[in-house]
Amino acid sequence: MIRAVRPFTVGRVNATAVAVRVAACLLGAGCVAWAAEPPAHRGPAGFALFLAICGVAAGALRLALAGIPVPQDTFLLTAPEHIVVRFLTALRAAPWEEGALLAIVWLEVQHPARPWHTALLGGALVAYLLAVHLAESDASPRVLRPQVRVLAVGVVLLALGAGAGMLPASGPGAGSALLRLVAAGALIAAAALVLPYVSPPAGED
Amino acid sequence: MSPVIPDGQQGPGPDAELELRWRSSRHARRLLTLGLAGVLIATAARRPEFAGVAAPAFLLLGAGRVQRRPPRIGVRVQLSARRAFEGEFVAIDVAADGNDGCSVRWTLHPGDLIESAGPTVADGPEARFTVTPQRWGQRQAGTVDVVLRDRWRLAEGRLTVTLPALHCYPAPAEQQTRVVLSRLPNRLGEHPARTSGDGIEFTGVREYVPGDRQRSINWPASTRRGRLQVNIFAAERSQDVVLLADATSDVGEPGSSALDLALRGAAAAARAYLDARDRVGVITYQWGEVRWLVPGLGRRQVYRIIDSMLASSAGWDRGASLLRLPRAALPPGALVVVFSPLLDQRFVETLRDMRERGFTMLVIDVLNAAPPGRRATVDRMARRIWRMEQEAIRFSLRELGIPVVHWDGVQSLDLPLAGYNRRPLLSRPRR
Repeated sequence: MIRAVRPFTVGRVNATAVAVRVAACLLGAGCVAWAAEPPAHRGPAGFALFLAICGVAAGALRLALAGIPVPQDTFLLTAPEHIVVRFLTALRAAPWEEGALLAIVWLEVQHPARPWHTALLGGALVAYLLAVHLAESDASPRVLRPQVRVLAVGVVLLALGAGAGMLPASGPGAGSALLRLVAAGALIAAAALVLPYVSPPAGED
Repeated sequence: MSPVIPDGQQGPGPDAELELRWRSSRHARRLLTLGLAGVLIATAARRPEFAGVAAPAFLLLGAGRVQRRPPRIGVRVQLSARRAFEGEFVAIDVAADGNDGCSVRWTLHPGDLIESAGPTVADGPEARFTVTPQRWGQRQAGTVDVVLRDRWRLAEGRLTVTLPALHCYPAPAEQQTRVVLSRLPNRLGEHPARTSGDGIEFTGVREYVPGDRQRSINWPASTRRGRLQVNIFAAERSQDVVLLADATSDVGEPGSSALDLALRGAAAAARAYLDARDRVGVITYQWGEVRWLVPGLGRRQVYRIIDSMLASSAGWDRGASLLRLPRAALPPGALVVVFSPLLDQRFVETLRDMRERGFTMLVIDVLNAAPPGRRATVDRMARRIWRMEQEAIRFSLRELGIPVVHWDGVQSLDLPLAGYNRRPLLSRPRR
């Protein structure tokens, strides 16, 4: 009467979920490529590129294997199945996306200042994070609708930050760069003050 | 994640309010990482464009802080049935109240030997899962993880609900025919007896005597013989059947072990004899002690019999033995159908003793396992001796007049019993 229980069975995945997962993988790969271009040959750029690729690839693998349930009772599993269970557990526990983010930002710092390039990278990174979240929670992109206005304000701030980076320094020395940084921080603080009026109250989409 | 409900035996009641544990979601942690990395690099490298990179992440995190998150929610869990046979489907309905617009995700973790018959993840304030028990016994249906996400998906509230216990019955085998005793008690039933009566089975004709009903006159026979002849019918009687399940030895593969087969066979026999309006009882034997259920009638008796067989060891009647059972549990003249692998010598001796006391018995051998075969000569010799011992036990029972039939658990019970269904089983007179 007892049927053979397959410990690893892939659940049903719909087309939207597959599309979101593919989009997340492509966005991650695009961010790495965008940050690595042109290849920087100074400092630990190569190592940062390696970490970024590993982080994005492992995150993509985690999303691809998210539908495989791990059996709770592993006592009677065979050795290969034990290895697969441990691999899946480790793959799901590690914060691959955070590591990839840090590596990508580190890779971008290795290049000389290029504000608009960095701003586009920032936008792509936020999109990557949103896509990863949608993919791992199997949620529809419609759940992001309440956040559209806040995201729009964020894009404006991103552009203002890039604009601040484009401004020529008022004078030589570190004080001028610090002044620009304070200006960018002031913009973010101003946006935070405006935030309660932009963010829709709960219960309203 | 630890269960919120400390009592693992009971699920939440109809209006159970459970506390949520809110934590930042992985999405929020990733946004925080991006924001902090941007600010740190902007400060360290004095490049304002990285402050712009951090801005959207901080904005999302800041906006998410003002969202409402309920500290408690009401969870309702309902099983479509608390009792199910092996392989039957049981629906589990779960519903959450007071989620304040947060999205709800349910994840089912079926219990031991309970398999999900559909998706194990569902979204929405209400969900339905389907599970099927794989083996008999009292089993925990499993647990359900509830995850609430706020509207900005920056925080997750989690709790675990323990599902109620599920009583899983052994799936009865197939049995359509019945073994009937030659001597039946004088009680109305459905089995044609040897005595004449008001049944429907024709047994012969005899000469008409005053008082016979006119409708029973056999006119063709009367015409041939020149005298009035009437039809004779067999009386219809019922019998007492006692199922004797040997739970001492559980050998064989799980799912088709001797105990599995004994329980499934006993359930099938109970159903078959109760369908024929017989009174059926059960005696469960284990390590010299017994638990019994007095023979009874009706469809509910099937469930009583299975419950009695599945009852935990805490309910065993200490000191009770087959030799000291009350008459109500083992009525004289009852047909005793034994399901046993015949591995316990004490049980075999008890069967011999019962036979000598005049009980009519039929043994269904449910042993389908043998000691593992190895190449060593000694092992082969031991295996051969074991087989000869088993054959000797069965031979000795047959010599005492106890039929022993083997059942593999796959085919219908009608096949091994075919030789005893066509004619009544001779019941010995009581001493």
